[in-house]
Amino acid sequence: MDRSKTPVISFRRRWGIVIGLLSLATIAGLLLEPYVSLTSQAMIYVLVVVLAAYKLEWIESVVCAVGAVTALNFFFVPPRWTFEVESQEHFIALTTMLVVALVISRLASGLRRETEVARLNEQRARQLQALASELSDASTPQQVQTLGRSALDAAFAGPNTLVLADSVEGLARAEGLAPAVLDGMRCCMKDGAVLGPGTGRWPGLDAWYLPLGGREQVSGAACVRPALAADEMGREHAQALCALLAQALWRLKLTTSMLAAQGEAQRQQLQSTFLAAISHDLRTPLAAIVGAASALQTQHDKLDPTEQARLLDSIASEASYLNAITENTLQLVRLASPGLVLRRDWESMEEIVGAVLARMRPHDPDHRIRASVPEGLPLVRADPVLLAQLVGNLLDNALKHGEGTIDLTVSAQPQQIQLCVADHGPGIAPAEQEDIFKPYARGDRSGRRGAGLGLAVCRAIAQAHGGRLTLQSRAGEGSVFCLVLPLDAAQPTPELP
Amino acid sequence: MTLRVLVVEDDREIRTLMQSSLSVEGFEVQTAVTLSEAMALLRHSPPDVIVLDLGLPDGDGLQLVKEVRRQQSVPIIVVSARHQEAQKIELLDAGADDYLTKPFSVGELLARIRVALRHRGTALAAAVTVHELDDLRIDLAAHTVQRAGALVHLTPTEFKLLARLVRSAGRVVTHRQLLADVWGPEFTEHTHYLRLYMGQLRAKIERDPAEPRHLLTETGVGYRLASD
Repeated sequence: MDRSKTPVISFRRRWGIVIGLLSLATIAGLLLEPYVSLTSQAMIYVLVVVLAAYKLEWIESVVCAVGAVTALNFFFVPPRWTFEVESQEHFIALTTMLVVALVISRLASGLRRETEVARLNEQRARQLQALASELSDASTPQQVQTLGRSALDAAFAGPNTLVLADSVEGLARAEGLAPAVLDGMRCCMKDGAVLGPGTGRWPGLDAWYLPLGGREQVSGAACVRPALAADEMGREHAQALCALLAQALWRLKLTTSMLAAQGEAQRQQLQSTFLAAISHDLRTPLAAIVGAASALQTQHDKLDPTEQARLLDSIASEASYLNAITENTLQLVRLASPGLVLRRDWESMEEIVGAVLARMRPHDPDHRIRASVPEGLPLVRADPVLLAQLVGNLLDNALKHGEGTIDLTVSAQPQQIQLCVADHGPGIAPAEQEDIFKPYARGDRSGRRGAGLGLAVCRAIAQAHGGRLTLQSRAGEGSVFCLVLPLDAAQPTPELP
Repeated sequence: MTLRVLVVEDDREIRTLMQSSLSVEGFEVQTAVTLSEAMALLRHSPPDVIVLDLGLPDGDGLQLVKEVRRQQSVPIIVVSARHQEAQKIELLDAGADDYLTKPFSVGELLARIRVALRHRGTALAAAVTVHELDDLRIDLAAHTVQRAGALVHLTPTEFKLLARLVRSAGRVVTHRQLLADVWGPEFTEHTHYLRLYMGQLRAKIERDPAEPRHLLTETGVGYRLASD
């Protein structure tokens, strides 16, 4: 980028320009001779000297000035066509011209240098700005490293090196580092300061070694070439680049630890929710089981057969309730884990509903559940076990809370498939409608057991599939739970025989 | 002759429960706590059916299934927890005959054992060619399917699929097994074929396809043709 100083003009071209300018001035002087005086002719030479001084290095401009004086003397100053100078006045004019050439050359080169520095500074400022905005999008240290490397390579001819390491020891793990570079980096990281020419530390080196960050919080080091003691601006720029990189790395580190802390907090909250659940949801059925079993154990002979059968029934049903809670709890933990991978396959809603119904019927002796599944529904990409659990939980809830019939309907809509379970139970008050989807919140209606985690699991399953689970309910009119799943645009179509 | 059941289960309560309820039904029950113990018993006195729990302390049930299948056709019923789907399918594909998900009732266990023993007989005797349940009658030799006395027309692929299930009636057949046997080994990942063809079959032979009586879905595992 700003490695290119001024556009370099080749040696041959520079001298070509000098000769060209002088020839042009001479030809112009000769052509204008009938119309102008010697002073104007001298002015033409002054003009080319000024041009040369502005555009070329001082050596060429001096040569140009000397050439101009010589040419003026030879071609125009009487006696013409000789190198002699007739009058003192002409001699003074020639000397003045030489001095003018030198002064202008010097001024021009200073101006040029300042322009160059200004342009370089502007380019550097722009680079810093661009890097800062690129770094704000970086989300991994590797991205920061890549951006940092290309920024250093753009600003310095190199070879440059950028290594990320949390500690001096970490440097040793970086591969492909020359021992000298490793030494330099280790030192600058340990001191938390720049090393190299012009810094007062290890001035004999051929490169600058810059730490990323200060001594307390160092996250790597850079080695930048070429390094000149006089190039203070260059060194400052390298430091500014490194400071930006260090800042970005620090930001990433903070974000990571913040996320970890958040995850930990979430995990702890989940844990305490589950502990609370165990203390209630698991204990109650356990107490019922233990009670019934011990009654059978100790009072077996005194209980009549009907009573015995009732106790056995209670043991079996409480145990199956415990099983459902355990299953839901485990599923919720699994669904909440960050590395969750669904075992998706092409699934048929008809089959899933059929399998769930086969499992539910023993708990539905009066056939309260009425299913309506149209033929030829599109297939869904889903985890069948999870989907079956969702439908099972919805039906289970409806059986427990509702009275009368329960309608299960599936319908295909453009781009989505909808499954609804409608009961004719007491309904759910608006205030409770969101709460029932939270783990272990329950509408404590008529003292009956809530779903425990059931609906929370249902919603988590729906969301894991990119779908949603909604509830429409009015007190006294029953509830309708609807699962909406997005359909895959590309439906599989086997070649039908 | 009493039939011998080998129960491989590391949990003492469940092992004892299975032992007592199978003994009551007239089986001679052997129990093993570990895979190595089971292997030793197998060499010593081959059972008529094996009930194998997943997740034993000393190794993978897959090992045992492979070992048994090398020499014997003794039926193997896998017992697994709900989240052990992948392992269960692996075992079924490797040659296990059926599975039970914990917690299960004694009734379910006995039903599975009955089906497994029935098939053990048919493996040696002539293959079953007629399947009858309720109003459904499938005759593989005559290539006919009747529902309530009326002939049902099936496409060749539908019939092939149904015939495969008839040959394992009462037992689960995994997706992979069905796809390999009906379409060919290169189609074992094309589960959607099964969904579509099973849908067509249900529409033709089930009274209520949404709540099938015959073609039962084993969610995430495969299908089972009901046998009782």
